[in-house]
This record gives sequence, structure tokens and C-alpha cells, in this order.
Amino acid sequence: MDRKTITVGVTGNPNVGKSVIFNTLTGSRQHVGNWPGKTVEKAEGVFHYQGWEIRFVDLPGTYSLAAQSPEEVIARDYIISREPDVVLNIVDATSLERNLNLTLQILELTERVVVALNLMDELRRGGWEIDVKALEEALGVPVVPTVATEREGLPELVAAIVKVATGQQQGHPVAVDYGLTVEGYVESLEADLAHLGFDGRSRWLALKLLEDDPEVVEAFKQGDLAALGLVAQFVSPEALQALLRRAVRLREGTQPDAKVVIVSGRYEFADSIVHRVVHRERPEEESLTERIDRIVTHKVWSWPIMLAMLTLVFWITIKGGEIGGGWLEAGFSSLIGAVRAWLVSVQAPWWVIGALVDGLMMGTGTVIAAMLPPMIILFVAFALLEDSGLLPRLAFNLDRPMQTLGSQGKQVITWGMSFGCNVTGVMAARIIENKKVRLASILTSPLIICSGRYGAGVALAIVFFGDGALPVMLSLVFLSLGTAALATLGLNKTLFRSEPGSFVLEMPPYRKPKFWQVIWRALWDRVALTMWRAVEFAAPATLLIWVLGNIPRGVPFEQTAIGWLVHGLAPLGRPWGLSGAMLTALLFALPAKEIIVPALAMTYGLQTSLAESEQVLAYLPQVWTPLTSYSFLVFFMLYLPCLVTVWATWKETRSLKWTLMGLAVPMVMASLITFFVYQGGRLLGF
Amino acid sequence: MEIFGISNWLWPTVSVVLAILFVWTLLRRRRAILRSRLPQLIEMEDALKEIYNIQQGEASVEAGALAEALGISVETAKGLMGVLVASGWAEGDVSVGIRLTMQGRERAQELIRAHRLWERYLVDREGMPLEVIHAEANIREHEMTPDEVAKLDADLGHPAWDPHGDIIPDAGCRVPPPAGSPLTDCMPGDRLRILHVEDEPPALFAQLVAMGFGPGVEVEMVEHQPRYLTVRVAGSPLILATAAAERIHAVPVPVLPVPLGELPVGVRARVVEVKGGGKHQRRMLDMGLVPGAEVTVLRKAPLGDPTEYRVKGTAVALRRSDADTILVEEITNG
Repeated sequence: MDRKTITVGVTGNPNVGKSVIFNTLTGSRQHVGNWPGKTVEKAEGVFHYQGWEIRFVDLPGTYSLAAQSPEEVIARDYIISREPDVVLNIVDATSLERNLNLTLQILELTERVVVALNLMDELRRGGWEIDVKALEEALGVPVVPTVATEREGLPELVAAIVKVATGQQQGHPVAVDYGLTVEGYVESLEADLAHLGFDGRSRWLALKLLEDDPEVVEAFKQGDLAALGLVAQFVSPEALQALLRRAVRLREGTQPDAKVVIVSGRYEFADSIVHRVVHRERPEEESLTERIDRIVTHKVWSWPIMLAMLTLVFWITIKGGEIGGGWLEAGFSSLIGAVRAWLVSVQAPWWVIGALVDGLMMGTGTVIAAMLPPMIILFVAFALLEDSGLLPRLAFNLDRPMQTLGSQGKQVITWGMSFGCNVTGVMAARIIENKKVRLASILTSPLIICSGRYGAGVALAIVFFGDGALPVMLSLVFLSLGTAALATLGLNKTLFRSEPGSFVLEMPPYRKPKFWQVIWRALWDRVALTMWRAVEFAAPATLLIWVLGNIPRGVPFEQTAIGWLVHGLAPLGRPWGLSGAMLTALLFALPAKEIIVPALAMTYGLQTSLAESEQVLAYLPQVWTPLTSYSFLVFFMLYLPCLVTVWATWKETRSLKWTLMGLAVPMVMASLITFFVYQGGRLLGF
Repeated sequence: MEIFGISNWLWPTVSVVLAILFVWTLLRRRRAILRSRLPQLIEMEDALKEIYNIQQGEASVEAGALAEALGISVETAKGLMGVLVASGWAEGDVSVGIRLTMQGRERAQELIRAHRLWERYLVDREGMPLEVIHAEANIREHEMTPDEVAKLDADLGHPAWDPHGDIIPDAGCRVPPPAGSPLTDCMPGDRLRILHVEDEPPALFAQLVAMGFGPGVEVEMVEHQPRYLTVRVAGSPLILATAAAERIHAVPVPVLPVPLGELPVGVRARVVEVKGGGKHQRRMLDMGLVPGAEVTVLRKAPLGDPTEYRVKGTAVALRRSDADTILVEEITNG
């Protein structure tokens, strides 16, 4: 019964179509979580084939199994654990040599491997052909050519997996010949390991000792191999440490270091395989990628192109947001009207109608209408940029300026996404491999003005400054960018100091994105989940706001809960020129920043629900001075991120500490900058 | 209270003070020696080296030539020459011209050897750029005893070339006799440095010198025919009869590994070494930047950094600082 399940670990370099194969085979039956104790995502999916239940476990994309990063450790530990019945290695046929570096390392660990030779269409388009039979013979395990995006070769792949899992097909993995010196050392270390009672993995262990593998060396130092999933009885820690010392002597004795010899040896071996199995069908011609890259990364033209691209994305976001938001709002208001009419007709008490309709439905409706359209557009745009290969080019072009902030080009991309919606910005940070840069991106993205804040800000700026609204908004945009840059620099100089880490950016060839797949994935994976969260946060919050504004019933505004809140918070905002009503409204806008105008209407006692309000826009200029207005706008643009962003921060970091930092960084920056603006303005006599 | 008792702080204090004094005197002595002895010594030895260089072809060296070479006044040059004669490193009349004695020549060769070894050391071990090592080596060369020079040489694995491509003299301080081969043995595409031009017959020698051939000149072999060959000298092709080419001895120009980041766009190169160690080194190796791998410089980002490279069939972008830890040899032909 138990043997009716096959567990498959899916490995491969980044960008080889791993997730396409995974998604195509497992469909929507996926479970996404995290690897125990790690912030690396773990995706699992199940499908059925000829009575077998096949469980796919998606391992992080890595170039190697050298245990140099959490991703590599996870992938390797999982293969060692013997949990997977088969290891599926997905290989990019267009860069076979580099991919074989990983394959050969996997073959050193297990013989139950199936290789999927993906992107065969791209290879053929480039005028190459691979002799699959020869490759299979060279590696000693089944090789299946696939074109994952067209589902080509996937049935054969699954059949091969089952054959290997059931033992119908035995793998005889090839062993890399590392040359006389290293092989001699390996043999002698293997003999020592055999003497200690190891079998099976002794060649691998010997190689790892010579490679100075951090995990293996640490295990030997501790004298405990349980961390490697190896149980060796009757082996004393001292014996292991002695073996380690011997290995270190051998390694340092070679010239260059045995580590370099081993990796080079693996590549040489891969090279010899590639020479045997890959051959040209047509003469080489200048690739499309080359031609596009010459323009996109051009010294002069790259800048207008990037600017045009960003402008286009934002224009579509804002326009689409307006139109889609309008539809949604109309839909909600007719729905609300219908519900209200029905509730009145069944003679529901006032508080039921109030809480349900004016509180819950009105608030949630406003949040959804404001957030959903830009979010859909941005997620789709981002996915298209990512799939087409444009994102790495943007990161390439913008890396140099970001270096001065101690960061990388990819951070600019997360900021760009944040202009649309901070949630997308925070989530986009997962494309950054370097943990520190990723955290810095997540923490600084909320400082960028999202389209929600921008829209509300424009409405306010027009009533306060009239024709001066455009320069005011521009100053706010630059202020927010400057603040984000400043915060990044500050974080990198303090919390994230230490080793700079090498920066490697792979530049995959341009690919025509699978439009519908991309849209479907963006909607399903991201928008649905995020929007659901937004509603989960917005619903109780808007209900609470309504309750605060309406109890006790029938009293003057000052005696309602909101009135008390406004009164109580008043002293807190004084250094920044912010009144109690403003602070309360800012608190109310935490579920979604778009509702700041109706929130102000509530906190100034003009209305008792979060309905859209023109009245407040006429009222505010009478009570706010220009300086107060500007200080309020500055604070509004920079302060605490909205609740969905906080949730996204938690989801991406899985750490309470960094989620709190995600609150603290914008709050501190907002307080500092508003303070300077307000007090500076007062000194100048505004 | 006991902690204020004399015995608790007196001895530690005394010993600390003594230790500081001891270290300070050591440092002072070292510095004093350097300060008192070095400037004069450096001047003298620099003059010695220059005279050695100038004297290669000449019978004697005049004060004017030395002054020009060192960038000092003729009077100072005469003073220095006087000191050299007095110390026995040179002989002759200061106002006419002096020659180096045997000892002087040996000392000059020792200095050159130390200088070039230091340059090798600064590039290989400290990763200093080529343009600053000369000045640094100029100071360090004077501080060495022969034993220390020998140790440095052994440490570096007895290198044959300095980073500029000059031969490092061996321990006997003789520049090894020309081991070059006649031009007729070289292949088209070779880049060569001439070591020696035979001065017999004089007419041919004079003609070869007039054409621009001489020790130290770099040439490139273009074409090799049975009766003549074409070489490129200083950019222009010259045709040499086989009989003349036989009299010119040359060695291949050593190909020096350069940091990957220094290569211009479009150049192909072969990885020689990946420096840096640890995670960084391993990452570069795993990306395919292993010794022997071929790298092509594809393009630079609009602001000059990072740079995109093709290696093992994939395109990766590296920052200048990372690329510079990878030493490569340019691939010139083929």
C-alpha cells in the first residue's frame, strides 16, 4: 500500500523551467510552505499516474550542491535523506555544460536519477542538436528531452520516473575522473572511511572532505555525522577528527587547492560529454537576444527605454485602476443599496444595518475597489517582465547606482513595483538571492508611494494647493525615493554590514512569455491570495471603525469613541504639526491607505461611515494651514505600511523581528522627515 | 582595602610600562635606522642602478646622463658619483665619466633582482595594480639582505619573469644567457621579444638595427616562407631574408594573467586562476569560471559596471570587484 506512493525531489539550476514542469504536472494540487527552519519556500504537489500517487517536492534552484547557501544545503540534505524515491534533475539543454556541473554532483549522491533535458525547442532554434541516447549512455541514467511549456515529453518523463522508482530501470551513474592526484587521495581516504565502517557514500564523503565542504567538515569536526543523515556506529569523534586532519593536509598539499582541481575536473568531464553529444546543425547566426540587448543595455538608449517601460506600466496601472475601480465601486454600491433595502424591508435594527452595511460592506468594498485593479495589473506586468527576461536587464543597467547604497540593481525593481502597490514590491523582493539585499528591499519598499497613496494625495493636494498640486506631488515622489535610498544606505551601514558577497546575475535569453499561463499564474498564485488577505484585514477593521464612530449612539461627535480618540491622541502629534483628528484618520487608513479621505471625514465628525465624501475636501482647507497640509502629506506618504504589506512582510521573512522592523523603518523615517519639514517650515515663517 | 594595596597594581603597571617601552624602542630603532641610513643609501643605490642601465652599451657614464636619468641636477649627480667612486662601486674621474667596478655591477644586479622579485610579490601576493608596484618595490629593494632576497625568491617559487615581463636575474645575479631561438624557428602568430641580435657580419647587423631590431624589441611573426619571413615591428610589417632572420634570437612574450575586469568588450580570454577563497571562489567556480574555461566579454552596463560575460554557454553579469578576482589570459588568435 505504502509503495503506491512515489516521492520525487525536483532539482535544477535557476531559470531552467523547473516551476513550469512542476506546475504543469501537479496542477493546482499544490501545497506551499517553508522548509523547516528556513525562509526558503517549499512547494509540494501530487498527481496520479497509472495507479501511482506521485508526490513532487520542488527543491530550490541551485547551480551546485556545495552547501554554500541555505538553498544548496536544503537541496542536498533532501537528496541525502533518502526520502525521495527518485531525484528529477531538470537541465537546460542550451547550456548543458554548466547544468551538468549540478547533475554530476547529484549522481555522486544517488543512482536513482532521471534527467529532463528541457528547453529543447530553444536549443533547436539556435541550430544545435543533442544526441539524447549518447547523453544517456554517458551519464548512466535515463534522459528525457522535454519542452515543458508545450507539455512535450512530459508523459515520457513520468514513465521514466516510475520505471526508476520501481527498479525496472537501474541507473549506473558515471563517476567523474578527477585525475591521478585527486583520485589517489580519494582512494586513500575511502580506505580510511571503509576502515571506520562506512560504505556506499564513502567516495562522496572523501570528495567533500577534499573539497572543503563546510557542512561535511563541520560534521567531522563535531565528530557527529547525524547532521549528514549518516549513521555510523562505533565511530569515535576522535577518529573522525583525525581523518579530517589528514584530508586537510592532502587538500592543501595540491597545487592549486584540491577544491579547485575537483570543480575544474567536474567541468572538464562535463565538457568532454558535451563535445560528444552536442553538435551543430546550422551555422551560428546573431541571436535575437544579442540584438535586443544591444539596444536595451545601450549607454544612451537604455535610459529612455527603461523610463518608457516604467511609465507605460504605471500609466496602465493608474488608468486601469481608475476604470476597474469605477466598475467595482458601482457594483458594490448597487449591492450595498440592495442589501440595505432588503434589511430595511425585514425591519432589522439600526445597528445591524449600520454595522453590516455602512461598516463592513462599505469599508471592504472601498478597499477592494481601490486595491484590486492595480494589483492585478502590476502582478501580471511583473510576471511578464520576469518571464520575458527583461527584469535581469533592468537589474544589470541599474546595478551601478545601487552599489553606492550598498545594494544591488534588483532592489530598484522592487521599488518600481512598489510605486504601484507596496505589497507587490515586498513580494517582488524574492527574486533577490542575497539575503541582506532582499531584507533591505522588503524593509524599504513601503517607503515608496503606492498608487493608493498617490491617488489620495492628489485629491488632497488639489484642494490645498490648487495649481501647485503637481509640484507638491513631484516633491513628495522624490522625497519618498530619497527616503528609501537613505534608509537603504542606513540599513547597509548598520544592521547589514559585513561581507559584501559576490554578485552574480544570470542573463537568460529573451523568451516569448506564455501570455495566458502568466496571467493565470499571476491571478491564481498572487492576486487571489493577496486580495483575500486584504479583505480579511479590511473587514474587521472597517467594522471596528464604524463601531467607534457610532457608540454611544446619538451623542455629539466629541463624545463618541472616535471623539475621545481624537482628543486623546492630540498631544502625540504636536512636534509634527499633526492634530488628533489626523492621527486617528491615519490609524483608520491602515487597512488600506486609499480610505484616508473618508477616514478624515469621520475623524472631523462630518460623517459616521467610510463612504466617499466631497464635503470633507471643502472643509479641510479652512482648518489646515499650507504647512500643516504639507506636513500631513509627507507623513501620510511615509508612515506605517498598510496591513496587507505587513502581512506580506511576514510572509516573505517568516520572522517577527523583521516584520517589526518593517513597521519601524517607515515609522522612524516618517517621524524624522516630517519633523524636519514641519519645524523647518515654522522657522522659515510658514 | 586590598584592591588598593600596592602589590595589586604595582607589578602589572611596571610590566606594562616596561613592555611599552621595549616595543617603542624597538620601533624607534628600526625607524631610526631607516631614517638615518635609508635616504642616502637609496639615493646611492638608485644612482648605481641607473649607471648600470646606462652603461650597458657605453664605456663610461657622464654626470649629465645620470642627472637626466634620475631627474636631478648635474651637481648632485657628480656628488653621488663621487660617493660611488669612494665606496668602491665605481672607478674613473667624476668630471669625465665613471665605470662600475665588478662589485658595483654585482650590487646593481642584486638590486635589480630584489626589485623584480618584489614586484612579482606585490602583484601575486598583495594584488597591487601594475602601475604602483614600481614605486613600492623601489623602496623595499634597499631593505633586503641577500638571505632575505633568497628567501623571497624561494617563497615565490623562483619566478622567471617580473610582472612587467622582464627577466628576473638568477641567484648568481646574472641575467641568464639568451635561451631564445632564431626567428626562423618561430611560427606565424607568435608574439616574440628579441633577446639578441648577432653582430656579425657588421653590415647586416647595422642594417638590422636601422630597421628597428634590437634587444628588448617586441615583434609579431606574420608569415613564414622558406626563403623569407614577414614580421611586424612597431606596427609595420617588414620582410626579412631567412639568412638575416637566423641571426635574430627571440623568446615568446610571456602572457601575463590580467584581472578579468580589465578586459575590453569583445575580447576572449582563458581563466588562469580564481582568487579570493571561500564562498566567493566556490561560487565563481560553480558558475563555470574554472581554470581553463573560456570567457568572452559581451557588454558593459550603461554606467560601466557590471559587465556581462559569456562562459560555458551562458551569460552572466559580474561586478568589476568580483571580476578582478579572476585572472585570465587573453586569447589572441584562432
